[in-house]
Amino acid sequence: MAMPDFPIETERLTLRNFHKSDLDAVMAYHALPEVQRYLDWKARDRGEVKAALDAMCAQRRLTRPGDALTMAVVRKADDMLIGQISLRWTDATAGQAELRFILSPAQRRQGYARESVRAMLDLGFNELGLHRIYARCSGRNQASAKLLKDIGMRLEAHFREHALFQGEWDEELHFAILDREWLRGSKVKELNHHMVA
Amino acid sequence: MVYAPHYPIETERLRLRPFTRGDVDAVFAYRQREDVAQYLFDGPMSHESVTEVVQQRIGQYELDGEGAKVFLAAELKEPQRVIGEVSLILRDAPARQAEIGYIFHPEFHGRGYATEAARMLLEMGFEGAGMHRIYARCDARNAGSWKVMERLGMRREAHFREHALFKGAWDEEFVYALLEGEWRDRAGR
Repeated sequence: MAMPDFPIETERLTLRNFHKSDLDAVMAYHALPEVQRYLDWKARDRGEVKAALDAMCAQRRLTRPGDALTMAVVRKADDMLIGQISLRWTDATAGQAELRFILSPAQRRQGYARESVRAMLDLGFNELGLHRIYARCSGRNQASAKLLKDIGMRLEAHFREHALFQGEWDEELHFAILDREWLRGSKVKELNHHMVA
Repeated sequence: MVYAPHYPIETERLRLRPFTRGDVDAVFAYRQREDVAQYLFDGPMSHESVTEVVQQRIGQYELDGEGAKVFLAAELKEPQRVIGEVSLILRDAPARQAEIGYIFHPEFHGRGYATEAARMLLEMGFEGAGMHRIYARCDARNAGSWKVMERLGMRREAHFREHALFKGAWDEEFVYALLEGEWRDRAGR
């Protein structure tokens, strides 16, 4: 898949590739228990976070299904790395990808997650030509669920007690959006913007 | 975990039992049809491939670990005739998750046979095999199938739109599920 030029600039953020020098910044949020529980990998100490960062540094292109593109979310105002966001290419012929993101707990409730999700959906649909992008979150993660819903993704699935996760019943939500839904939504927003202006 | 039911299992009008070699013609009668294959992974099947499938299913009547599959012939008691097939698959042993499925000859649709058989699958899964959650999937256009799930009290947990390509077109899928507590509440147990 042809990759656009990075970094991606939004109003307040820069989305760029990860570098080995990001270790302290990643360590600051990865190792927190409330972040841990939503991660795929263990990242409790410096060694484990370094391994995770090495993997993220290498996730720069979607070459074959299964590949992930992971971006560091950096605040322009103070050049601080505040989180990460990724697209994993799950199905090439059907143009499917999974969106995942983590924002440092200290930087939440300021719209940064929403701003970076919006940029990744633009990237996925406009630049990469994906057909459908989906995101999963725990039924208990109300902040993520609200964000995904507000941004225009549809709740496609609500699985109850469908698996065991760390010894407890898991509840999982799936949100999804199709290319034409996202592009239509973007046009309406543009139009509203012009009318207001 | 081993669940080895005693066969045949009787419902009001049906008998659920392991397949035998003698079932090939009856299975071929519906598996060769385009309207049956429409929502299945396989296309319409030849007599030869039905023979292979039936042969394989003869030994699949116990749940003896993750991934184990039970395939049973659904036989009408009167007149005695195989009119479909049902399945119970152990998808996740520690979390006690199973998937059920059913295929019936279109000539016997609309008489509640699939509902009768699927209700027995739920009973087998929850009460026999001790499952915690049982789910079923179907194409969103297959109203006959998801109405069976709704009649059984299963909840629509997912509606995936254009999440995959299926036979060259965008796929739309429903997932229905029922938890053991919900089953017990409904059954008044």
